[in-house]
Amino acid sequence: MEKKKIGIIGGGISGACLGYHLSLYDNAEVIVFEKDTIGGASTAKSAGTVCLFDDSLRNRYWDVRLYGFESYLKMEAEEKGSAGFDKTGTLVVATNEQVEATIKTGIALAKAAGYNGEYITDKDRIKEILPDISTENILGAGYTQDDGYFDGTMISNTYAKKMQKNGGTIKTGVKVTEVIKEGDKVTGLKTDEGITYDFDVVVDCTGPWSKFTGDMVGLDVPIWHTKAEAFFLCPPGKKLSYTFPVLKYPEFYALRAGDNIFICKSHLSMDLNNPMHAGQWDPDKLPATGGTDDYFIDFLLDQLEAKVPGIVDSGLVSSWLSYRAEPKDFLPILGETPVEGYYLATGYGGNGVIEAPASSRDLAKLIMRGESTPLLEDWAFKRLMK
Amino acid sequence: MNIAVLIKQVPVSNDVSVDPETHALVRASSEGMINPSDLNAIEAALVLKEQTGGKVVVFTMGPPDAEKSLRDAMALGCDESCLITDRVFGGADTIATAKVLAEGIKKYGTFDLIMGGALSADGATGQVGAMVAEYLDIPHVTEIQAVSYDESEPDKVTILKKFQGLDLTIKAALPALVSVNFGANEPRLATLRTKRAAKSKPLATYTNAEMGMDPEEIGLKGSPTIVTDSFEPESDRKAEFLTGTPKELAEKLKELIETEKGKE
Repeated sequence: MEKKKIGIIGGGISGACLGYHLSLYDNAEVIVFEKDTIGGASTAKSAGTVCLFDDSLRNRYWDVRLYGFESYLKMEAEEKGSAGFDKTGTLVVATNEQVEATIKTGIALAKAAGYNGEYITDKDRIKEILPDISTENILGAGYTQDDGYFDGTMISNTYAKKMQKNGGTIKTGVKVTEVIKEGDKVTGLKTDEGITYDFDVVVDCTGPWSKFTGDMVGLDVPIWHTKAEAFFLCPPGKKLSYTFPVLKYPEFYALRAGDNIFICKSHLSMDLNNPMHAGQWDPDKLPATGGTDDYFIDFLLDQLEAKVPGIVDSGLVSSWLSYRAEPKDFLPILGETPVEGYYLATGYGGNGVIEAPASSRDLAKLIMRGESTPLLEDWAFKRLMK
Repeated sequence: MNIAVLIKQVPVSNDVSVDPETHALVRASSEGMINPSDLNAIEAALVLKEQTGGKVVVFTMGPPDAEKSLRDAMALGCDESCLITDRVFGGADTIATAKVLAEGIKKYGTFDLIMGGALSADGATGQVGAMVAEYLDIPHVTEIQAVSYDESEPDKVTILKKFQGLDLTIKAALPALVSVNFGANEPRLATLRTKRAAKSKPLATYTNAEMGMDPEEIGLKGSPTIVTDSFEPESDRKAEFLTGTPKELAEKLKELIETEKGKE
């Protein structure tokens, strides 16, 4: 059987997951090139809230979410710790009737898939789940007990390991320096090892770097960076006496991180026209820690005072800034591009960990069999060319 | 009690190398943070202020971006800060640095106690505190564990210092300077509220236009120290990363212990 050679640029959740899904095909010969470590850059800074609620609160891609969640549950069941699952449950707070209606749909979908879910209007019960919350000005909250946090770095490494077992190759510490084209067709790439590789297909899985990666084939990848500014808070009293669930408001989300609380401004509260939120920056210049803007402190303080006053006096342990890669419609870019043989699996924004399994499954099918899927149609590059 | 705390902004990254030409440290990251033992000095100062009243003023000499560390110190509870910054102060050794800091403190006001971290994370000379005390002509105790104040002896502080396995209790007449060991206490954390409050706390900036020091006495020109050589220590240490199931790991570990037993 003739092998199809595929080169993947980027070993974050997107590249590692796609590499694994491709390696399931007998005739795929896959190499993943990662300039640093597997799952170490924006994947490592992902919140990893793989919840049974769609954080867009639209439930449009519910099946994508469910597939991601169940893939990681299976991974965790196969080898405990391999997906870094922290089953804390998720509490999504209804601050208006529109959000409430979506939460109720989300609960119905979770229950239909066989998971526990309830929409709670009893404010004492909400306070039992999250004692530090303010129940003023809320209508209720959706609560799913079976989900929580998964670790994007561990998942990426587990996929990398599984891919290698299937015969795939991972090259870490290797930077792709050139994507080779013959006419309009991609034929391979060069790396900083000084080696030239021949490929039938090259896939850009570089997320926030995609703008620069696309430049190598003369492709303008239409992504912007939005700032994911996160704080780790040490609660007053230093240890919570309860299990802090993944907590979602339209404006921010929070989750347990050991004895601390990780808190981040939400993906959809970003405004691409606000230069404090969005721009096109160089992800290589991001510091490992720090880098958050003063406006974020004001934003978070106002939010917590109103919504979770019990943790507002937490100590600030550390903070970081990460860039999410976002097309203008905040959906990923998946599949073929105008450059033959050059594919994209990028622009996941903050949802790479959740969405990578379903999109990698479909993209692998497209690359290996030439078969498209409704998801690929929805997330195709061509939608952004209009 | 009015307390001055001397801090230094040090690089966040430990990834430093030595420039073979200039022997200066080359830092991989320009991002700065408060030197760790200075956080212990700040904590000790804030505890004393809470007990006695007064204010804590934090000083640093450094480039303009050292304002970040001063704001961070004020977010911890320090009341005011002073950034001493001028190109003519650049390239200073410990003597020239101490000279400028002492002058800045004198210009700012009078203090009962001056504190600082015992060692900086990047230079680790431990000299500046004692030199500042000499320039101010006040007593000093270095590398202390704790300092306390008793109203019955209003002109003294009591200091605990560990020295060659002994716990020494030292009384120092005020004003005095102490340098606090890393780990001497548990520094508090800033909160969102204190971070916001720190943005509007007073921050004075002194350049040499305000300080009026002789350019021959400060910065590189005023530094008698000559670095003749510096190098990265050679190391043949090895690390092995063990992988596998807990059972496999335990077996590998047992094997390693057996193999390595008795070796140097």
